[in-house]
Order: sequence, then C-alpha cells, then structure tokens
Amino acid sequence: MSGGKYFKKLFVIGVALMAAAMFLGAGPALAEVKVLTIGIGTDADTLNPQEQTTTLIQNMCDLIYDVPFYQDPEGKLHPRLATKTETSADGLTVTVKLREGVKFSDGTPFNADAVKLTWDRILDPKMRVPLRFAVAMVQECVKVDDYTVQLKLKFPFAPLVPALSMTLVSPIAPSAIEKYGEDVRQHPLGAGPYVLSEWVKGDRIVMTRNPDYWGEKPTVEKIVWKIVPEAATREAMLRTGQIDVCYKPMPSSVAALKADQKVTVEMPLDTRTIFMGLNYQKGVTTDKLVRQAFNYAVDKKAIVKKILFDTAEPMDGPVSPKVFGYAKMANQYDYDPEKAKELLKKANFDFNQVVQMRTPNGRYLFDKQVSEAIQAYLQAIGVKTELRTYDWPTYVAGLLKPIAESELEVFLLGWGPLVLDADMGLYGQFHSSVNPPKGLGAAFYNNPEFDKLMEESRQEQDPEKRKALLLKASEMVWDDCPWMWLHVEKFVIAYSSKIKGMVVTPTEKFFPQYITKAK
Amino acid sequence: MLQYLFKRLLSIIPVLIGMSLLLFFMLRSLPGDPAQVLAGQMASQEDIQLIRVQLGLDKPVYVQYGKFVINLLKLDLGRSARTQNPVIQEIWARLPNTITLSVVAIVLACLLGIPAGVVSAIRPYTWVDYLVTSTALFGVSMPVFWLGLMLVVVFSVMLGWLPAGGTGGITYLILPSITLAAFVTAFIARMTRASMLESLGQDFVTTARAKGLRENVVIIRHALKNALIPIITVIGLQFGNLLGGAILTETVFAWPGMGRLIVDSILARDYPMIQGSILIFGLLYVLINILVDLLYAFVDPRIRYD
Repeated sequence: MSGGKYFKKLFVIGVALMAAAMFLGAGPALAEVKVLTIGIGTDADTLNPQEQTTTLIQNMCDLIYDVPFYQDPEGKLHPRLATKTETSADGLTVTVKLREGVKFSDGTPFNADAVKLTWDRILDPKMRVPLRFAVAMVQECVKVDDYTVQLKLKFPFAPLVPALSMTLVSPIAPSAIEKYGEDVRQHPLGAGPYVLSEWVKGDRIVMTRNPDYWGEKPTVEKIVWKIVPEAATREAMLRTGQIDVCYKPMPSSVAALKADQKVTVEMPLDTRTIFMGLNYQKGVTTDKLVRQAFNYAVDKKAIVKKILFDTAEPMDGPVSPKVFGYAKMANQYDYDPEKAKELLKKANFDFNQVVQMRTPNGRYLFDKQVSEAIQAYLQAIGVKTELRTYDWPTYVAGLLKPIAESELEVFLLGWGPLVLDADMGLYGQFHSSVNPPKGLGAAFYNNPEFDKLMEESRQEQDPEKRKALLLKASEMVWDDCPWMWLHVEKFVIAYSSKIKGMVVTPTEKFFPQYITKAK
Repeated sequence: MLQYLFKRLLSIIPVLIGMSLLLFFMLRSLPGDPAQVLAGQMASQEDIQLIRVQLGLDKPVYVQYGKFVINLLKLDLGRSARTQNPVIQEIWARLPNTITLSVVAIVLACLLGIPAGVVSAIRPYTWVDYLVTSTALFGVSMPVFWLGLMLVVVFSVMLGWLPAGGTGGITYLILPSITLAAFVTAFIARMTRASMLESLGQDFVTTARAKGLRENVVIIRHALKNALIPIITVIGLQFGNLLGGAILTETVFAWPGMGRLIVDSILARDYPMIQGSILIFGLLYVLINILVDLLYAFVDPRIRYD
C-alpha cells in the first residue's frame, strides 16, 4: 500500500472511530492493531503442543490452539475450551464439560472426540511427549457424550484442574492429524484466536486472526514473531521501532530501557527458582549443619542486585511466591558468615577437603557468574572449592546419574513449575520418587515424613487443608536445606509504550491478542 | 583442463568421506545425550529412552555410521532430531542467505582491500601507508561481535539510517556485510601490500618503467597482475572463513542464515543437523579451493593444468 493511501485509510478510520466514540458517549474506542511484531531469541522447533517444552513456543501454541482453562496472572482459572469440571468423591474421576459450538480453524467441530484423541496421544507411550510426567496421574480419557469427557486417574490428584491450563493438553484438530500425521508439528491447527499463516525458518513466524474464533475477537490482526537471536539487537530494534515487543532483553539493559519513555518494561516475578543443590545423601553436604551453614554463607541479596541487576528476588520459601501453597518461611537464611563458620565448626567440618561445585554456562541468567560468586562466598568462610563449568547437554547428563554413580556435591540448577501450584515445585524436586535417574530431584532429598505430607496434599480436595499440608512440607524442606535457596527469577519483557493491555503471566507467557496501540 | 577439473572433483569424495568419519565420531564422543536434551529437563527415563530409539541412538555407533553413509549416497542427510524436518530442507531454507551475505562481504572486501593495499605499497612508509596499515591492524583486531553491535548503535539507534537487523531490501544487507567484510578487507589489504612491495622490486617492473610505460600501467598491468597469486589464495581461504564468521554476524543482525542453525543444533546435540551443515560447508570450502586453483591459470599463463 502506498504511503498516501495508507494515511488516507488511517484518517478515515480515525474519523470514523472518533465519530463513533462521540455518538456513543464512550471513552476512546479500541484501536485495532494491524501488525504486532515481537522480537524473540529462537525459532520454533515444533508447534505440536504435546511435544513442546520451551515456554515461548508454548506461548505461540496457546494462541493457535487455546487451552481448556486459562490461568490468569493471579492464579485464577477461567473457562476456555472447557467450561467446568467435577471431581468424584474418591478423587479418581474428573468430569470435564467442553464448550459447545466451537470449531477448529478449518471448520471441523471441536468436541469430545477431539479431546479424547489428544489425551490418547498424550498417554500413548510411543508418542514423544516430554512433559507427560505432568499428567502421569491420568489413566485414560473416556468420552461420555459429545461435549463431556471423563479423566480417570490412577491416584487422586488435587491440582489436576490447574494442570488443564498447560499447553501440553491443548487439543489438536483431528482433521490435521489425519491430513499431516506427525508433520502436524509444522502445520498446527487448533481452535485458538490465531492461525499460522507463514513460517520462514530462522526468520519469522506469522499468525493471522482466526475469523471463526469462538471467543472475543482479538484486536491484533496479525502477529509476526521475528527471530532475533541477539538480545542487544532486539533492544536496538525495539528502540528503532522495527519491533513492538522485545522478549527477554538483557538484565543489564533493564535500567536503560526503563528510563526510555518510549518503552514499557514489565518484569513480574516468575515461578522459576534458581538454587544450588546440596547432595543430601553423599559427600560433605549430608550433614544438615553444613547445608545450613552454606545457606548462611551466601549473600543472596547482593547476588540479585549486583549480578542479576534486580531481575530476580531472593527466595524466602522453597517455592515462588506466585504459586498456590507458598508461604514466607519464619526463619530466613540471611547473610551471616560468622554463623556459617560457627555451624561448620559444630559439624566438625574438615576445612582441608575440596568441595566440588558444578554449574551450567548459559542455561540460566548469569548462571556461571552466580556460581563464581557463591564459590567466593564459600571460600571467604574457609571452605575450599573447585568449580567446574559445563555446557547444558553435558551438565544435564551428569545430573541424571543414580546416587551410586553421582558425582554431584554442590551444583546450580533451576526449576520452573508450569502451573501456579506448589505441587510441581515441592513434589517435583523433593519427593524421594523423583531422585535421579527417575526424576530430576538431583539433591537426592529423602525424607519419608515429607513424602507422606506431599502424598496427603495430592489427595486433599479442600484447598485450605491442602494449603496447610503444603506449608508444613515447605517448612520441613526449608529447614533441611537440600538446596542453597538462591533466587526466584523475574520474567522481563519490554514493549513500545504505545501498547496498552498486554497480559504478562508468572509462567513466562504473555498474551498480546487484546492490546491496543496508540497512533 | 577438463581432465584436471574432473580429477579435482573426484578428489572431493575422499575428502567428504574423511570429513564425515571425523565429524561422526567426534560428535558422538562429546559428552551429553541428545535424547535427554530433546526430552527436556522434566522428562521421564522412559520418554528419554523412546526418543533415543526414535533417533537410532540405541544402535552401535558403527551401525549408525553405516546407515548415515548409505543415506548420504542417496543424498539423504536424514531428519533433524530437533524439528523432525528433513535436514536438507532446513539447510536449503537458510544456505542461500549465508551465501548471499558472504558473497557481498567478499566482493566488498576485494573492492576496498586490494586498492588500499596497492596505494599503501606504492607509497611505502608515508602517512598513506601508515593510515592503511593501522586501519588494517584495527580491522584485523576488532571482534566481529563488537563491531556489529557498534554499527547497530551508531547507524540504527543513533542516526536511524539503517535497520538494526532482519531481512528485506538491500538496506538490510549493508551493516552485516560491512561487519563481515571488516576482517577480510584488512587481511586482503595487508596481503596486497606485502605482495605488491615484492612485485614492485622485481626487474620486470624496472624494465617496464625503463620502456617508458605510464606509472598506472606499470602498477596495474605488471606489478599487480604478478602480485595477484597470493592475493587470490588469501581471498579463497578467507571466503571459507567468512562462512564461519557469518555465524556471529548472523546472530548479531538476526540474519536467517546457517549460523544460528548450527549453534542451536550443537547446543541441542542435533547430530543429523550438525553433520549435514558441516558437510555442506566442507563441500563449499573444497569447491572454492578448486575455483581458486582454476583462477591461477587465468592470472598466470605459466600455470597449465594439461
């Protein structure tokens, strides 16, 4: 479109909108956004929601497929493709009512058959579903009628309904599976507000508004996910107006971006906790006093401020404050090197031994630098350490060895629950059943009392009683210190200050479909 | 000549076999399990094993290699472990972008580097020479990453003249190609200067001057033409290096080429994709070397391949 025509069209739309606003006596009318360009760091590998593990790409999938329930930033669940659930008295059957009158973007109906097919694929051990563990309690999905399914559980699992907000359970159109087979990962087709219209590998992914979307019509007509691997370039492109949204700018740039009036920076607290695992069953850290001493030895507030540029907050409980079941712990491990030395003395710690530390490099924000700072803090109280750095594939292979082969003593890791519930944080890291190689509870925490509390919490359907159980479990693990409790990350996103109404969630997702943009 | 070309093309085969062997076994000796990386941090052991079987990583390495070679003979580079797309399709979507960027950069480097080297050589130890050699030293020493970001800050953020990254019209090519060309330009300028200085001291240059030829004819037709052999060699070698240098430049400028694909594939231990990409790069490198050898014959009539 030529510049003249474009402005003429804009002018006409502007006049029409003003007239409409005056006529209705309402506030400023919603401005439609023709194209929203979002700068992201990486291309999608698969747009099959059952295969995806990267939050950013799950975010894209949410816009294409929609989810049964949407969990808002406050943790409240809103019906989307499912309208309500009912759990049986024994907690073993969850009945899910589906929304009627919904169509996939190719016009085929969304119904119980589609949902059952998706669940059958999720539960099929031959399918590649990396996050299957998150719904491992589901035995099968049974169709009751055209718009009702029942999820039969192997054991009662109280936080199942929040789990239905995960991208993992987004239904794929059966017609697409029939047409493309497993190549559906390149040809996504769902019932969400957008449809994939172009995918230029390594360059951009383009989505256009789904005209038949069942819900409120999105205000953004087209979303372009522009792949810009280097964060500094993404920031430059945001400042020059080449992109409207910059996904995860560098922490060191946050202050400068905040000072720029043309840019809005949002950084809500995330669910991901970053910690130093302390091997509970092997080596110097088997002694609780040593683990507690290490916690007192490190100034977490200084790490957050000086290394992470305030893009995190020190942990004050074993899970993120954003999840259900969180409580700030009464005893805080504030920086106290004298107390740390005292505890080590009490534990008869051998100061001649060398403690082995490990860290990934580039997996989490400034992971190597954080580990180096911790090494310095430990050395300051007389603990000799050796720090080894690995790239992620090498590192993760070392984490999964069983206790007999494990060489882990003190190691940095992160854990980001996918739903706003403490279960995935506490059970997923500290229950003895997730000790490697079965899971990634690499601190090898093993406390039968804690296990029992967590199992009870999964069966407890009353939210208040469940919360009390989670609190008790939290206090127990917090005192036992299988981790050096470091920090909770913040999800940083920067966008043009002309944009209003962006929804940013603690699970590192953002939803731009109902934004407005000032001219 | 044709016979020589045929022989050289045939010699690519053992090179590729050697490369594939080295690459295949070196990759597999790296620590880290591709199935684990693909499955993600939270996957169960059963799911990781399933992916291992799907990728064929449960078979002995020699069986995996045999399968790889058989597929290679059928021009099938396999499917990416990460995206499940055919490797050739993934490469084909990006390779033209990398080649475009590299070709523009090498042309730019030649256009700037050769004249700069010549000027520097004909006025040795003057301010012009010092300017060229010190600029060249700066060019050689500058990290590509830093230069790229500085150009973005100045020309995109501060002046707003050029886009900071991405693809589109010719304006999008300017900053990445200058960044990529900087090192090579400096290298070519230094090589041209050294080669020209040697050439200018030869008897045939004195003879040409004694014959009363104009100075620019002496320099271009006699001195430069004779100095070209090492310059062409350097250009050929540097073109190969450019393909490698493109990895950083592409990252800075969000240029959708092979660079980021290779980095992501290495981080994910995506064996088929790494093997395919490196083999294609290797093939290009060998072809460029053959082209350079052929160019020698055009530049220096004494070289014959019959």
